[in-house]
Amino acid sequence: MSGEEEEMLLSSNGDEFLKAKCLMNCEVALILEHKYEQLQQMSDDPMNQVSQVFEKSLQYVKRFSRYKNPDAVRQVREILSRYQLAEFELCVLGNLCPETVEEAIAMVPSIKTKGRAHDDEAIEKMLNDLSLIKKFE
Amino acid sequence: MFFHIVLERNMQLHPRYFGRNLRDNLVSKLMKDVEGTCSGRHGFVVAITGIENIGKGLIRDGTGFVTFPVKYQCVVFRPFKGEILEAVVTMVNKMGFFAEAGPVQIFVSNHLIPDDMEFQSGDMPNYTTSDGSVKIQKDSEVRLKIIGTRVDATEIFCIGTIKDDFLGVINDPATA
Repeated sequence: MSGEEEEMLLSSNGDEFLKAKCLMNCEVALILEHKYEQLQQMSDDPMNQVSQVFEKSLQYVKRFSRYKNPDAVRQVREILSRYQLAEFELCVLGNLCPETVEEAIAMVPSIKTKGRAHDDEAIEKMLNDLSLIKKFE
Repeated sequence: MFFHIVLERNMQLHPRYFGRNLRDNLVSKLMKDVEGTCSGRHGFVVAITGIENIGKGLIRDGTGFVTFPVKYQCVVFRPFKGEILEAVVTMVNKMGFFAEAGPVQIFVSNHLIPDDMEFQSGDMPNYTTSDGSVKIQKDSEVRLKIIGTRVDATEIFCIGTIKDDFLGVINDPATA
């Protein structure tokens, strides 16, 4: 991740973000929808029980999820995990689904920093794998 | 960016809630108190997903209330400087436009909108390129980069840019 992000995550935010797992929008959509269904079962008017933050977040992740099927979501995380990415990088790529290597590097500049094993070919393969999941979702 | 983190909070419970449903009462109070809140440190707490641990209760001197340390897992939304994300435009004016990403509001100043886009006032104020091919108006989806965040008591506010490569209006390939 970029210098600023790392600094924020490690210094001012204490331990929580060190162990924090990043979530892609599609993963959050599954979690929030599940919670919303649980609330629906327990009461007739779930909308009253959830905060505005929850509502706005649910609307947002539903609108901006690239993958809707839970199996596809699982596959995306699995595939991206094979490429030695930081959590933050994995989620930005999973959220934005860049189409070209150039775009991927613009979205996550840290994958190209010195010493990391990601050459253009590896990045291209990763993007191809991602788009295959989308095709067969 | 959404994160799944473990937080801890000391919950105070009045003795009227003790008994068989103590744990449930504690968890509902936790959800009521914490979900939807925002702090500079963790961002917005969107939803509590589970309780990791509830410690032994300690009776407060003089009041009879009992304090329980509760460790819980939750989904939070915390924007970071340098992060690139997608957002929905909510308002456009000649100073720039406002967009929303989940619970966070982001302002993009007209200085950080590409020079070839001009503000057009009217019923549906918008920014449009000179050839009319790209338009930013209310409800447009844009990809932007966060360049600064500010935290006040109850929310986080960001400023962003769409002036870099690969930023700007998102073209849905399905409709292209």
